[in-house]
Amino acid sequence: MELFWLAVSTIAIGVFGCVAWFWGSNMVLDAVYPPRGPRAGDNIRKASMIRPWLFLGPAILFLGLYLVYPVFDSLWRSLHNSDGSRFVGPGNYIWALGDGKFRESMLNNMLWLLVVPALATLFGLIAAQLTDRLKWGNIGKSLIFMPMAISFVGAGVIWRFIYEYREAGETQIGLLNWIVTRLGGDPQIWLTLIPWNNFFLMIVLVWIQTGFAMVILSAALRGIPEETIEAAILDGASPLQVFFRIKVPQIMGTIAVVWTTITIVVLKVFDIVFVMTNGQWGTQVLANLMYDWMFRGTPDYGRGSAIAMVLMILVTPIMIWNIRNARKEGR
Amino acid sequence: MKQAMLATAAAAALLAGSAQAELVIEPGSDDRINWQSLEDFKAAHGDLAGQEFTVLGPWLGPDQELFTSVIAYFEEATGATVNYSGSDSFEQQIVIDSEAGSPPDVAIFPQPGLAADLARKGHLKPLGEETAAWLAENYAAGESWAALSSYAGADGQTQLFAFPYKADLKSLVWYVPENFEDAGYEVPETYEDLKALTEQIAADGETPWCIGLGSGGATGWPATDWVEDLVLRLHSPEDYDAWATNDLPFNDPKIVAAIEEFGWYAKNPDFAAGGPGAVSATDFRDSPKGLFDSPPACYMHRQASFIPSFFPDGVVMGEDADFFYFPAPADGSKGQPVMGSGTLFAVLSDNPGARAFIEFLKVPAAHEIWMTQTGFLTAYTGVNAEAYGDPTLAKMGEILTNATTFRFDGSDLMPGAIGAGAFWTGMVDFVGGKSAQEVADAIQQTWATLN
Amino acid sequence: MEGMAGQKSSLTWVVNISAFLLVLLWTIPTLGLFVSSFRDRDQIAASGWWQSFSAAEATGFVRTGTDADAVQVDGRYVIEGTVLEGEQDLVGWGIRAREPAAFAPGEMTEIEDGWQLTVNEDGSYRLVSDAPFEMRRGERIFTTTTVPPKFTTGNYQRVLTAEGLGRAFMNTLTVTIPATVIPILIAAFAAYALAWMEFPGRALLTAAVVGLLVVPLQVALIPLLRLHNELGIGKGYLGIWLAHTGFGLPLAIYLLRNYMVGLPREVIESARVDGATEFQIFRRIILPLSFPALASFAIFQFLWVWNDLLVATVFLGNTREQLVMTGVLRELMGSKGGEWEILATSAFISIAVPLIVFFAMQKYLVRGLLAGSVKGG
Repeated sequence: MELFWLAVSTIAIGVFGCVAWFWGSNMVLDAVYPPRGPRAGDNIRKASMIRPWLFLGPAILFLGLYLVYPVFDSLWRSLHNSDGSRFVGPGNYIWALGDGKFRESMLNNMLWLLVVPALATLFGLIAAQLTDRLKWGNIGKSLIFMPMAISFVGAGVIWRFIYEYREAGETQIGLLNWIVTRLGGDPQIWLTLIPWNNFFLMIVLVWIQTGFAMVILSAALRGIPEETIEAAILDGASPLQVFFRIKVPQIMGTIAVVWTTITIVVLKVFDIVFVMTNGQWGTQVLANLMYDWMFRGTPDYGRGSAIAMVLMILVTPIMIWNIRNARKEGR
Repeated sequence: MKQAMLATAAAAALLAGSAQAELVIEPGSDDRINWQSLEDFKAAHGDLAGQEFTVLGPWLGPDQELFTSVIAYFEEATGATVNYSGSDSFEQQIVIDSEAGSPPDVAIFPQPGLAADLARKGHLKPLGEETAAWLAENYAAGESWAALSSYAGADGQTQLFAFPYKADLKSLVWYVPENFEDAGYEVPETYEDLKALTEQIAADGETPWCIGLGSGGATGWPATDWVEDLVLRLHSPEDYDAWATNDLPFNDPKIVAAIEEFGWYAKNPDFAAGGPGAVSATDFRDSPKGLFDSPPACYMHRQASFIPSFFPDGVVMGEDADFFYFPAPADGSKGQPVMGSGTLFAVLSDNPGARAFIEFLKVPAAHEIWMTQTGFLTAYTGVNAEAYGDPTLAKMGEILTNATTFRFDGSDLMPGAIGAGAFWTGMVDFVGGKSAQEVADAIQQTWATLN
Repeated sequence: MEGMAGQKSSLTWVVNISAFLLVLLWTIPTLGLFVSSFRDRDQIAASGWWQSFSAAEATGFVRTGTDADAVQVDGRYVIEGTVLEGEQDLVGWGIRAREPAAFAPGEMTEIEDGWQLTVNEDGSYRLVSDAPFEMRRGERIFTTTTVPPKFTTGNYQRVLTAEGLGRAFMNTLTVTIPATVIPILIAAFAAYALAWMEFPGRALLTAAVVGLLVVPLQVALIPLLRLHNELGIGKGYLGIWLAHTGFGLPLAIYLLRNYMVGLPREVIESARVDGATEFQIFRRIILPLSFPALASFAIFQFLWVWNDLLVATVFLGNTREQLVMTGVLRELMGSKGGEWEILATSAFISIAVPLIVFFAMQKYLVRGLLAGSVKGG
């Protein structure tokens, strides 16, 4: 019980601390530049220059310390040798370009980037629309969402029950091979079938991420004003037309968000590959390669960091696209 | 909902109970254990009351319980408190913790490569000349154990940085004696006999070997053990040592020949259960189960001394399953090479308790207490060999302590990027269809680019 | 909800069926895990989970008793016993591994030395010899049996009674709740500023947040733990809350900003005209309207923290007192893994709380609709 109270009080302090900061700092700001009195206009202008930074302050502090600082740390490391004792310039990057596994990972990552966000968003959208108006929709949603709640290790086990291989003639305990043998085919070792094994791994991530896409998109779909839809129906639009012409354009922004988020998840995909093939049989991806060099055997932090930098550079197009978007919205 | 959650938590907390370590064997009760040595240790180090230190290691589950049972005697003798925590991502965690400046006081390394790396970066504390001399004197093939634990420190000076405790024996072939009897097969005495037996079993329409290279993130390692054993049998221990340091290049014809020799077993669909595809996909933990199928999926399985933990429930060692030494060539030119490995204890802080713990590992009782239980081998010659809990372990212990040519797992000695990376993946590629030459060239190329 | 006026019933059927198929497809893998979590290890290896409801054929062997078990009957030596356990049915038996079903139940065969072995349909065997038995171990009788479907709650018992699970449950809650609430609070303010406040560098900052989404966790571990050690935070709850907050913020800000941008402009503008301060607008208008987005992010962050092992082992340490649930489950599985039944069970136990949270939160996801004044981004 002692532990329980410790937990409760620490939770309370943590949450209270946050609230206190936002509330308190705003109070102080309003007290220093009161939005009334003779210099009200001037004060409001000054206050509204400072206020965004009060709102953003804690976030910037956290992002700077917990993400920006490590990025610069890895940049520095990527220009040094394995233990950071010697400057090697672009040596690690040159090594990467010549390394077969690195090129394989780049290629595979591209494949992942094309397939997974598209499929996960598509299935998520379909799931959100289909279950939205069903009586048992919430149960259906929960079931589709369930993979999100399973840890990657758990997911690895689940899919072993699907992909497991036994010799022809033995009882197949993998579902896929059982079906194949039932249909008269030969059992396959799915995870070693180059290049299809990449797709078998992608299916796992699509299976997990569809729940994410569905939850976000379903919230957006429900946000579409009823009047808009009713108007379209009155105009004689078929349900499919309503979906594609009215609903999808309305939530385009959210679809883009979901797509971006899943793209980034894909860039970082590591656990699935790590658990299921560890990048063997031509399934290596950048994040797992990075992990290999950072922590496996004799760690080479320089090379690992160089790969991490490449990973982060790959996101630049998405960033540029987002800047443009933000500008457009910026009225 | 919240109430329900709290209720569950409370119930679970009640179930958990207390977890105070107890002495598994009453001191003085089992006369196979040298209790006097424990008393002597207590007399010398009994003043550590209130000291507390952490031990980080790779052992979880049953191994963790067994090791904790040994720790209990150290705590009892010294009054110190030891917090052992096991992690299945030990390698990652030790790197992060030591780099970040919050290392455990004692770390248990499953592979020397990583220990050497941390020693070079100055994270490990030298254990001193005295301990090095003690190892050389008291361990069977002690010089090689000491060499395995000596690395260049941050100052470039080579010193003893780790203490080997708990060994594994690798050159073993497991089989079901009654299946051999039923089929009229003899345990092979020489390497030539082993190959002849392989061919004979295949000619009988059966499958001689179960080989499984799968191991999740470490897939491929069982093949490296095969190749190492074969290098020792086709070539000399000197070649083996040169190979482990890359003085003999990985793509030297000798090594390529050893890889091809492994291919003779693993890439022949008649010799390995399921054919090459199944070899690389079968998990090493599932692989030995084929021995116990009826009809048997295979008759032999080459694997280290720990593998009985993965035999099906109820298999009685020595009765339902047994092992023989992976034999050496008949002409005797290569001696009787034995390959093994061990876990290494290193000290990362100045905690006096941690130092005392290394001293504790020199006490015969610290070995014997684990020996009487299960799953423990030691090269320490000062222990009572009768303390082994079962005859199988005793037989292995004998092989270990009588070894003349003893070599450590070569992939453990190679740089991590090779021994725990390129070598593994290379062997998967080899079984998958690439040629031995191609694979060896690729590994050698990776080795050459290491800085 | 019934807004679709004039829906054709055939369409309803199509929607129902295709939704059902989709849900089924998504559930099958998890169902496999669920069924497997009630089977024991040998069964998991012997047949597919979808066959676990029908009787399975299994092979195995039993050893007869040894000379110590022999009794003398009418001058002959007899060893008796049974080869079956539980509700198995004997299909065939044999005495050699290569022919495990050489004989039908009830048949008799001669083993060397004039020993006669009979195995009956009910599983009882009888080994008879004229001379006294001499054997160091029992003879093997191979059996082929059909095993009725068998399910066990043993796996759950083993996991739930694991040492320290209760403690770990509390630890996990202690980690998870602040690590979910704090980033949401911080992100909500930041997202509002990025969405509705005018200041230089806003677009750049937004893009930077997107860029930070991709920072791989692994590169941050060493520098941050070092930072914590130098700041004197060390390993502990404070450290892990801060870490989870830092790692969770980019996604939180990104999702919330995008949602908030889509809120109706007029509501905010008119509040400003009415002289409401930004803080009041945030508290009275933005927060309530953003509830669905807050709730969905809360779910994701909760899941991520709940299932996390990496951040916990690095920033909290893994001594007995500090272990989180995932840590205890890891310990149960053992260093060499391979215990599928424990993995399956663990996965289901760790899924339970997140699912409860999801169901509880679903109400709030719906509330956005009922409020009626939210439109999609």
